[in-house]
Amino acid sequence: MRYLPSSPIEDQALLDTIGVPNAEALLVGIPEPLRLHRELDLPTQGSEQEVAWQMMNLANKNMRFCAQFLGAGAYDHFVPSAIDAMISRQEWFTAYTPYQPEISQGTLQHIFEYQTLICDLTGLEVTNASLYDGGTACVEAALMAVRVAKKRNTVLVSRGLHPMYRDVLKTNFAPHDGLNLVEVDLKDGVTDLADLQAKLNGDVAAVLVGYPNFLGVVEDLTALAGPIHAAGALLVSVTQEAFAFGWFEAPGKVGADMACGEAMSLGNKPNYGGPFLGFLAVKDAHKREIPGRVVGQAKDLEGRTGYVLTLTAREQHIRRDKATSNICSNQGLVALRANIFMQLAGPKGLRGLAEQNAAKAQYLRQRLLELPDMEPMLDQPFFNEFVLRYTGDYAALQEACLKESLLPGLDLGRFYPEYAGCILWCATELHTRQMIESLVEILARVPAAV
Amino acid sequence: MFLRQREPLVFDRSVPGKRGMDLPKLDVPVAKDTRPAHLKRSGFDAMPELSEVEVIRHFTRLSKWNYGVDDGMYPLGSCTMKHNPRLNEKVAGMPGFTDSHPMAPDALVQGNLEMLYTLQEWLKEITGLPGVTLQPSAGAAGELTGVMLIRAYHLSKGAKRRVILIPDSGHGTNPATAAMAGYEVVELPSGPDGTISFDDVTDPVNGKVRKGLKTLVSELGHEIAGAMITNPNTIGVFEYRFKEISDLLHSVDALVYMDGANMNALVGVARPGDFGVDVMHLNLHKTMSTPHGGGGPGAGPVCCGANLMPFLPVPVVMRDTVKVGEGEVPKHSYRMDWDQPQSIGKVHTFYGNFGILVRALTYCLSHGSDGLKAATMRAIVNANYIRTRLKGAYALHIDSPTLHEVVFSDTIQAKHDVHTLDIAKRLIDHGYHPPTIYFPLIVPGALMIEPTESEGKDELDAFCDTMLQIAKEAEENPDLLHQAPMLAPLRRLDETTAARKPVLRWTKAL
Repeated sequence: MRYLPSSPIEDQALLDTIGVPNAEALLVGIPEPLRLHRELDLPTQGSEQEVAWQMMNLANKNMRFCAQFLGAGAYDHFVPSAIDAMISRQEWFTAYTPYQPEISQGTLQHIFEYQTLICDLTGLEVTNASLYDGGTACVEAALMAVRVAKKRNTVLVSRGLHPMYRDVLKTNFAPHDGLNLVEVDLKDGVTDLADLQAKLNGDVAAVLVGYPNFLGVVEDLTALAGPIHAAGALLVSVTQEAFAFGWFEAPGKVGADMACGEAMSLGNKPNYGGPFLGFLAVKDAHKREIPGRVVGQAKDLEGRTGYVLTLTAREQHIRRDKATSNICSNQGLVALRANIFMQLAGPKGLRGLAEQNAAKAQYLRQRLLELPDMEPMLDQPFFNEFVLRYTGDYAALQEACLKESLLPGLDLGRFYPEYAGCILWCATELHTRQMIESLVEILARVPAAV
Repeated sequence: MFLRQREPLVFDRSVPGKRGMDLPKLDVPVAKDTRPAHLKRSGFDAMPELSEVEVIRHFTRLSKWNYGVDDGMYPLGSCTMKHNPRLNEKVAGMPGFTDSHPMAPDALVQGNLEMLYTLQEWLKEITGLPGVTLQPSAGAAGELTGVMLIRAYHLSKGAKRRVILIPDSGHGTNPATAAMAGYEVVELPSGPDGTISFDDVTDPVNGKVRKGLKTLVSELGHEIAGAMITNPNTIGVFEYRFKEISDLLHSVDALVYMDGANMNALVGVARPGDFGVDVMHLNLHKTMSTPHGGGGPGAGPVCCGANLMPFLPVPVVMRDTVKVGEGEVPKHSYRMDWDQPQSIGKVHTFYGNFGILVRALTYCLSHGSDGLKAATMRAIVNANYIRTRLKGAYALHIDSPTLHEVVFSDTIQAKHDVHTLDIAKRLIDHGYHPPTIYFPLIVPGALMIEPTESEGKDELDAFCDTMLQIAKEAEENPDLLHQAPMLAPLRRLDETTAARKPVLRWTKAL
């Protein structure tokens, strides 16, 4: 086994020092009847060459595309070469959580910078070292809001939130008998203000709203914040496409008390859905209720500035069952990718990328609408995703696209029966005009529905 | 490591006008601005402006203040800091995997589904448990999923139970998880040998009696939903009465959750499904060598018995087999099954930390059944070698063969007013990452050392020699330890002030 530094001579020397005849003698603490008295029924070891080939065969069984017009929570963006080069340094990817600050200043300073940039993106004051993904970030945000709001037991969730985020919320709220999760309807693709107002009352701790929402539409947080704050509840914005922060105002500046969501777009590929990057940013007043690792500045014995994990009195290893969350491992290396991405992009890059995403999506929408069986759906400002009604047969459209190695948009009826027959399209800076023209050309040839 | 020169915060290096990323030429008309005026992005306050070379130098210099597994032994107990094979990284970066979209139809991602299915099969055989979900992103997420399965099990029988039992030696995530799943935590005391005590335990200092497992089960009975037990426990000892513990809990239909953080001691040697475990998680970032990444991402798959399988999170990866004909290889196809009426629901937005799961399967295929067992045995030998060499110089909490890790306490050094923290910091001066300290809580001044199977004899000897030298320094020159570290980029940091007046981000005023 190539990974084990084992040789017969040295192995014997180890056993001699320990004073046992063989390694099995060290298993004395495991009662005989509880041991496995056979080999595992699995293939035996593989050489690097064999395993590489085997795994490559699996990777090759996935269909490859010239272009993916599918977003829906996982966005295909360009990843600068510097990111993979940097995170391949062993000092970054093999290191553990920075419990010992004097020997982990690299990771700690990076997290401090990352926290600064997430606060900048969201317009809020405090964030943590990352959460698992968009869905679990919503859970942490909702539970935190309940702690902050004290004695309020209801969380309202806009139906515009990613359907899988809503699923994860449901799973995690189920064990809490005292807590309610209530959905707020959509109207014209945005949170229905009338339904929201009807459901707001003194029990509501927070309202979670997509920004932009799953249909690609930007919600007017300012308009929603009025009634929500009047009811004494917190407004939580949920962003599944972090590139939108370069186009729309920071949620913290337009009424959001907390901002959470998914930041995989910053330097990652779709990766079949993970590892992704959950984030949660909050106001300074609420910092002692935030879940997860937080890095802060500190001075060493000689007065030099350094960084440490801080506010640990909130965390599971100190507070045990009274902790703000059970989270321990987070998405550290993905946060590093996002940090490098943002530092490379800078303010101009983030803005420029956002402008290109908006331009490509608008162009795609305009060209698709020239097709006879595509109809406009929502007349709302969007970023890089939008909904069109398709009067043809989605299966036929999909088949035609796949034949030409294009992945079409999402059949929205799968998640929203009320939008059956609609397609959620996405375009990013990766989509050239040529790709868009190819798509339109292929769709023009799809036979009309019978 | 260690670059002694300071690298400033990136914000102090930012110069307006620089950029580290160029954009492609826009080949479509410029976007029409349909945004309401108040929703237009106004600006950024901190986003820095640097060229690519400056960003690369920044992160390269920062990296040199870190310590990684390739620098040397990383003896963090319970963290299993083993070698991270480079093949695993290469495979996880294959475009066939990285470019695949989580909303793509199953027929287009057969490679991904086969990968997930195959890894599930490996984990089933390794744990001896027939049900698996790969969705949880980390150990704590696995715990939460597992405890929610236990809750669903009781609810399906019309019972709502109140209590989860957790030993006092357990990881903090266990009680935090039980609370997140809506349970009350009742602590199980450890006996003198560090394992769960069946009998009541009287505290020698304050005379307080803590109820043992037998009393708790008889008093709480059907209030107990389950117990969360780390095995081997956090002292590196197998709970040798595990079968009795699980029989006792099962007698009141309470379920047994096993925290699999220490599974590196058991793979190929003993299977939780064979000794009474109903549900457990594995930390693939420990046992299966996926890198820790400075804090994540990890993966915490949950394995369970047939009694809990109906409740597993959706979707469940399935294999359909079509018999092709006599004597021919059957054809397989894979799919995500969403139709699980009793499922607890989704626990991850999509299907878990897929890229980490790819690395874990690569590890499994490389090791095979024989390599997995060899790794376990070597990890155990290494821990016992350290135990033998350091015994006498450091106080052993329990003087019997250990499994994959060994726990010392600082009682010998405390006579010279040298404590665990001092020993840990002195190790940094000697070029090592310190072990896990002050955990488990039941050992005073604990130093928890886990060498893993990745260390050869010369590396183990170098570490032991260093530890022995530090023991000598503690006697002869305790101040050397009190002042440590002296050779790191920074000396000890004032964490108390940092927490009292937290500065959690850079601002222009800073």
